[in-house]
Amino acid sequence: MRELLTMWKNTRMIVLTALIAAVYAAVLIPFKAIPLVPGFTEIRVAQVIPPAASLLFGPAAAWGVAMGNLLGDIMGSTFGLGSLFGFVGNFLLGAIPYMLWGRLGPLSSNQEPTMRGSKQVAEFLIVTVASGLACAFMVAWGLEVLGLFPFTVLGSIIAINNVLLPAVLGPVLMALLYPRVKRWGLLWSDILDPADIGAGKTGGLGAWIMLLASVVGWALCLFLSLGGGGQLLMPGFAQGGQGGAVTVVAAGAPVALLLLAGLVLGRARTDLSQRGKKAA
Amino acid sequence: MASVSEAVQLTNVHFTYRNGETPALAGIDLAVSPAEFVVILGPSGAGKSTLCYTLNGLVPKFMRGNLEGQVTIFGSPTAGERVSTLAERVGLVFQDFESQLFSTNVELEVAFAPENFGVDRAEIGRRVAECLATVGLTGLERREPATLSGGQKQRLAIASVLSLQPRMIVMDEPTTDLDPLGKEGVFQVSRRLRDQGLTMVIAEHETEEAAVADRVVVLHQGRVLAEGTPADVLTRADWLEALGVQPLGAAQLTARLGLPPALTVADAAEQLAAAGYRVDLTALPTPAPEPNAPAIVEVVGLEHRYPNGLTALQGADLTIRQGEFVAVVGQNGSGKTTLVKHFNGLLMPTAGEVRVAGRPTAGQTVLELGRTVGYVFQNPDHQIFAETVADEVAFGPRNHGVAPDEVQERVAEALAAVGLTGREADDPFTLTKGERQRVAVASILATRPQVIVLDEPTTGLDYREQRQMMDLVRRLNEAGHTIICVTHTMWVVAEYACRTIVVKDGRIWMDGPTRAVMVREAELTQASLKPPQLVRISNRLGGTLLTLGECLHALRRV
Amino acid sequence: MDLYLYIDRPSPIHRLDPRAKLLMLLGILLFAVSSDHPLVPAVMFALVLAAAQAAGAWRALKRVRTLLIVLSLFSLVAWSLFADGPTRLLGPVSLESLLYGVGTALKLATTVAGSFVFLATTRNEAIATGLIRLGLPYNAAFAFSTALRLVPTFVGAGATIVQAQRSRGLDVESGNIIQRMKKYLPLIVPIFASAIRSTNHLSMALESKGFGARRQRTFYLQLHLGAADWMMVCTGLLLIAASFLLRFSGYGKISGLLT
Repeated sequence: MRELLTMWKNTRMIVLTALIAAVYAAVLIPFKAIPLVPGFTEIRVAQVIPPAASLLFGPAAAWGVAMGNLLGDIMGSTFGLGSLFGFVGNFLLGAIPYMLWGRLGPLSSNQEPTMRGSKQVAEFLIVTVASGLACAFMVAWGLEVLGLFPFTVLGSIIAINNVLLPAVLGPVLMALLYPRVKRWGLLWSDILDPADIGAGKTGGLGAWIMLLASVVGWALCLFLSLGGGGQLLMPGFAQGGQGGAVTVVAAGAPVALLLLAGLVLGRARTDLSQRGKKAA
Repeated sequence: MASVSEAVQLTNVHFTYRNGETPALAGIDLAVSPAEFVVILGPSGAGKSTLCYTLNGLVPKFMRGNLEGQVTIFGSPTAGERVSTLAERVGLVFQDFESQLFSTNVELEVAFAPENFGVDRAEIGRRVAECLATVGLTGLERREPATLSGGQKQRLAIASVLSLQPRMIVMDEPTTDLDPLGKEGVFQVSRRLRDQGLTMVIAEHETEEAAVADRVVVLHQGRVLAEGTPADVLTRADWLEALGVQPLGAAQLTARLGLPPALTVADAAEQLAAAGYRVDLTALPTPAPEPNAPAIVEVVGLEHRYPNGLTALQGADLTIRQGEFVAVVGQNGSGKTTLVKHFNGLLMPTAGEVRVAGRPTAGQTVLELGRTVGYVFQNPDHQIFAETVADEVAFGPRNHGVAPDEVQERVAEALAAVGLTGREADDPFTLTKGERQRVAVASILATRPQVIVLDEPTTGLDYREQRQMMDLVRRLNEAGHTIICVTHTMWVVAEYACRTIVVKDGRIWMDGPTRAVMVREAELTQASLKPPQLVRISNRLGGTLLTLGECLHALRRV
Repeated sequence: MDLYLYIDRPSPIHRLDPRAKLLMLLGILLFAVSSDHPLVPAVMFALVLAAAQAAGAWRALKRVRTLLIVLSLFSLVAWSLFADGPTRLLGPVSLESLLYGVGTALKLATTVAGSFVFLATTRNEAIATGLIRLGLPYNAAFAFSTALRLVPTFVGAGATIVQAQRSRGLDVESGNIIQRMKKYLPLIVPIFASAIRSTNHLSMALESKGFGARRQRTFYLQLHLGAADWMMVCTGLLLIAASFLLRFSGYGKISGLLT
């Protein structure tokens, strides 16, 4: 948590934030989206950036991806009330991967994310899913609160967008970029003073809270939005598929709070070993 | 002893970067007087940038490493001083203009630095107006930097450090990425600043600019090899060339002919004329008559209008035959790049026709045309992505569906052609700029195109690397490839291209054998182009000679 | 390439302070979403269109025409199917859900058009300065406006990268979806790597210009709140208050609607 605030004192981190935001927003324009259902749903190539940027640049990616999404709203003229939720959702998208990496007990490889070996790729997929669903939840829930879109629709589209492409391209991208960024001395853990990085024992707890809140929260809201559980919560309630809005809004509030709590408790690992070597 | 009156005093300065193996600066002793105009020359890796960074404190405050020796700026030692404190005395301008601009409008960019120091608003307003006037950007206050040309952006970068009213300006290769007009703009600003009394220290590759300096310093492997007036240093032309610095044509020619040294075209022409030299074109070996090779690229009435309404090409006609070595020259924005992008299908004509190997390009894809026409882009970092050099070079043939064992063969062949055999397993990101450029060429060679289009192949390379690159291109031409080289580096055109096409305002302005084009200096000036010194000297002596070799052969005493 | 939406014209809306405009936009959008019934957002949409006309941005609105239509249609269809009410029309679509769909379509249209008018009448630097005046810490506003300035550079680099890789035979059109995704790797790596590589240069340039040298920095661009701005601020606040009243009073509901 601490590094999310202290990074603002560091010139290189500020610059990285601006660069990540600009690349994230810029890639939307010259690189065509890949149509899933032509004319309706497209996959944004830019979505491969957040998990990779997070593992490389930590807090700069959290702020950078959030700002980049806002920039995208501004340049695409979709700047409105939803942009607030877009900001928070994308902040989670950029923050969760680096806070989860190495903190998931048996699921973690405890090594630098160079993507050598299937355990690392699996861990990458887990953090991608967690952050992707957290973002999808936040944006879809927010727009349900505003009454602009049903959770089912946005929640599923954004989830697919945030998970599918990074799952396919992300590991290769990490494998290519990690050693180079490290050599250039630009890994966030190398740039920031260790005193400015959050320390303490709450890292594992924060990570699990964020993982569970995002996956369970997203799934729960999707379920409720499809009308599931309506009969339990609202006796005498008719068809499935309707009436989910109120329950989604109500259920989503504690999920959002849990995610933010996880963020506050989250502590990144700075003692990851290089593959084959033990940490000092 | 540090003299209080000196602007810069470097005494026995050594610096090694944190992860560096050899020292970047290996014992520099240098003194610069106030209001002096010093140009620093040297090949890539000589330490020019490191030296510049030492003058404003970036070394060692930002670039981590081990600094030894005394660095004194305007009488105060820099040890322990923050970069921001030094910024009020020394302004530093970098090579890449894009990485120096932060604001969304011109005015604010110039105001940025004094804002950081809490200067009051009225004063900032005054300074902004003054600085913009000095760099010639008055009237553009509210423009977005993205809409400016490269030369304008670099001048804006200069203005943005001028607004702190420093006493010295240091520039690290400020004109490398600019076209001739842009370069001229920056040189004019430098001279204006010198006239205003600022101390100027400029690291440059453009030797012609060094000729007007007060003092020239030659750096090599972190040491000062020579310093003195331009007349002292630049006249040692052959020595400079051996070091990897481009010699002044005038100096090299007069030295070789045993005449008193000259640094300018006018002086050299005068000297040679006075000594009785005239050009005798009959002394040159007559080129073997060209068998009429088949046309490989034909352009008929080509027009190209961009979606936003801008007409980049207003009717071009030309024919390029197999085996030719053609240079396409012109200012940025003249349409030269638009023209050649039609050859491999990146652009399609909005009127007129382009035929490659007899077939119209309309209806063909870039993938199909790529089998005949390879296009090497200017910046290798805009295409390098693979883990190894071999994978990078294999990308093209794999896309073209070549079988794996043939791919391997082609990769080996291409790497051999560019002189990078044995580097297959290297990480392309660790190569030097010149090596990365050669990887880019290799990656196109591996697709075995007949025609190779090269977009500014010499940008960002020092003189020696430029020669290496162009010698490679010449070998490819001799092996049978048709070469189309887009450039604005005129000495490359003179020495390597048989035919020159000048593009201006969307039209083909001149098209002919290089010798015939280079004699038309007035027209070239209208296109903002200037033939190299040797060519201009020979033009004044009765004929057009293109290289030093030709000059030594064909200049005869009458 | 014209990426920014700003149109330079001397209109009364251009002259307003960005903070006032932002508050007004917020008010309009909140008021629009506070009612289920389409009448309220329809009025807000009309208001925004009138503002576009006053700003001289009417013709430029066609830049967002496709987006407006797509988003509106999308939400109309989504809610017609997802919401429900007693009056059946066609299949799962009921009168209530259709009305609600129309309402949200109008709310989204108001968002797109409203943000367009705001951006068409406010310079980037005014947005950044406005945010700072509203309390955003300087370093964050700086990162934001630097990102704004860098986007066109990266878009240009991205376009060049696409051309360079296409020239090497990259074909993103063919193949199944997974194959096509993988083909984006030669596009993503160069743009990302060259962006990251400029970190040191940008940081050096910043330090060389005294970034962070003093605790108190001057702000050359000044904003002033005039009478017109204060009127806009009051209107905006009124709209915000009204939107809460509307939401919690029960007016503007569609009877029988279940979302």
